[in-house]
Amino acid sequence: MLLEIDNLTKHFGGLAAVDGLSFGVGQGEIVGLIGPNGAGKTTAFNLITGILKPTEGRLTFDGHDVTGKKPHQLAKLGVGRTFQLNPLFPRFTVLENVVASCHLHPHSRSIDAFFNTPRYRRNEALIMEQALETLKLLRLDEVKNELASNLPHGYQKMLAVARALTVRPKLLLLDEPTSGMNWEETELTLSTIERMLGTGMSVLLVEHNMEVIDICDRVVVMNFGRKIAEGSVDEIRNNKDVVEAYLGGDHAA
Amino acid sequence: MSDAISFARYEKKWSRYGPFAAAVLVVLVLAAIPFFTDSPYLLHVLNLTFLTILAAVSFRTIIISGQFPLGHAAFMGIGAYSSGMMAKWLGWSPWITIPLGTCVATCIGIVIGYPFSRLRAVYYAMVSLFFGIAVVQIINAGGVWSGGYSGLTGIPPLIGFSKTPYYYLFLIVTFVSLLVLYRFETCRVGTTWKAVAQSYLIASSVGVNEAFYRVYALAVGCFFAGLAGALYAHYNFTIGTSSFDFVATMMFLMYGVVGGMFSFVGPILGTALLVLAPEAARGLKQYVPYISAGILLIVVYGMPQGLIGLPGMIKRLLSRRAKYEAGRV
Repeated sequence: MLLEIDNLTKHFGGLAAVDGLSFGVGQGEIVGLIGPNGAGKTTAFNLITGILKPTEGRLTFDGHDVTGKKPHQLAKLGVGRTFQLNPLFPRFTVLENVVASCHLHPHSRSIDAFFNTPRYRRNEALIMEQALETLKLLRLDEVKNELASNLPHGYQKMLAVARALTVRPKLLLLDEPTSGMNWEETELTLSTIERMLGTGMSVLLVEHNMEVIDICDRVVVMNFGRKIAEGSVDEIRNNKDVVEAYLGGDHAA
Repeated sequence: MSDAISFARYEKKWSRYGPFAAAVLVVLVLAAIPFFTDSPYLLHVLNLTFLTILAAVSFRTIIISGQFPLGHAAFMGIGAYSSGMMAKWLGWSPWITIPLGTCVATCIGIVIGYPFSRLRAVYYAMVSLFFGIAVVQIINAGGVWSGGYSGLTGIPPLIGFSKTPYYYLFLIVTFVSLLVLYRFETCRVGTTWKAVAQSYLIASSVGVNEAFYRVYALAVGCFFAGLAGALYAHYNFTIGTSSFDFVATMMFLMYGVVGGMFSFVGPILGTALLVLAPEAARGLKQYVPYISAGILLIVVYGMPQGLIGLPGMIKRLLSRRAKYEAGRV
């Protein structure tokens, strides 16, 4: 398993937002994390990416114990993520967003940057090349000089993915990558995700859209901070607990 | 504030070296001034302007990293007092105490920077404001060592008592310091600062140690503020805490806003205008705060990008008028 989550727990005061959550994401696997609103999906996401520190439990990524590690340390190990809200640097253009995000690969020491050494110039040229390539891949090259905050919502989400790819992730965490997208943009996002899987990248995504859930190898369902089901998409569709959680007890029968 | 990254490599030679050539030209013109005047008063005003420009630009450097240092002038004070006290009480040469004083300001900036880097937005501004007030109070309570409320007097001069050598020294130091700060802003370090300022969450998600980069910007800002303060101490021979209090920081902010916070040149322009213009109308000196406040209000309401945004504004207005008239015909 690339990512292993063991008994992950987060208390906010007396409330257990995530309560004893355990699952794993394998190499090249695409796992969906779903659940009704307030189930603790985003909290789980923030725990996995180090924005929140877990009250209890262990996180293992790629053989490293990453419990309580900071977001930038996780990024260094190869965890890329997108954010559901405010997914980009608003005062940078699209190209600048990607260029500014290329902090790790290649990384220039600030002394090289300050003195504009040949190594720094080589790195910057490489970053520019990579950035243009990524933008082309995600079909953002037409809008590369637009201010990011002026982009339509779907483009912003794509840009967030482009940004996350700059850390060369082994595991990509996508927080509702298609929310607010139209059908065409959703298709493009899905085909991009599938293409990335071909490169051996694993994906963990939080989603509401069932079309997107269809591409998952495995689905983990959360409710009230606990995992209530795990399995293939079909298994989840026919799971009594899941239907109950989404539609309420009366409809289950 | 525009956060455009300069892709200098992809631009024409002129746009790359043009601003630098213009800056050199300005420095050469300034260097000629002592040949045309021997008014110590004018040179004194210009000397103070140079140091204020350095402090105001270092203030902006911290701002672009997303921090709002309302106690920035205190670092100038730390530089001034530590250098002045070392030179006065230990008898060391100002040539040693000025770098030492600068280092003290930088080190204190780094030490407070780490706990400060956990604070955001208005909480940061508040704590840094109180830090500035605390520094001023500590210096005031320093008794005979710091001169207390009556100020530290009898600081040894750096290079004599004539204004002209200081003029050239400050011109060179300010110019080189501004080049350094400009380089910081335009290279990848500055890009990362601006990224952290826009969203520390996104920046850290792509591997930026955002706490480190915030402290980094603070250290650079404090270094140059400390340097300006230390030079001021050995130029003015007398320093008081009123030059380094909250009002002084507010002045840096005002210079930046009037000149244009979004541009590197903004605070330079703003400082030059707001320090020199009142001197030109010396008879009105008691009205300076009101005039400054008036200018500030006009700028904030009328030109949110500051003086530096004025040409762009005029261009837009003219093109709008041209369009309007073309439409009428």
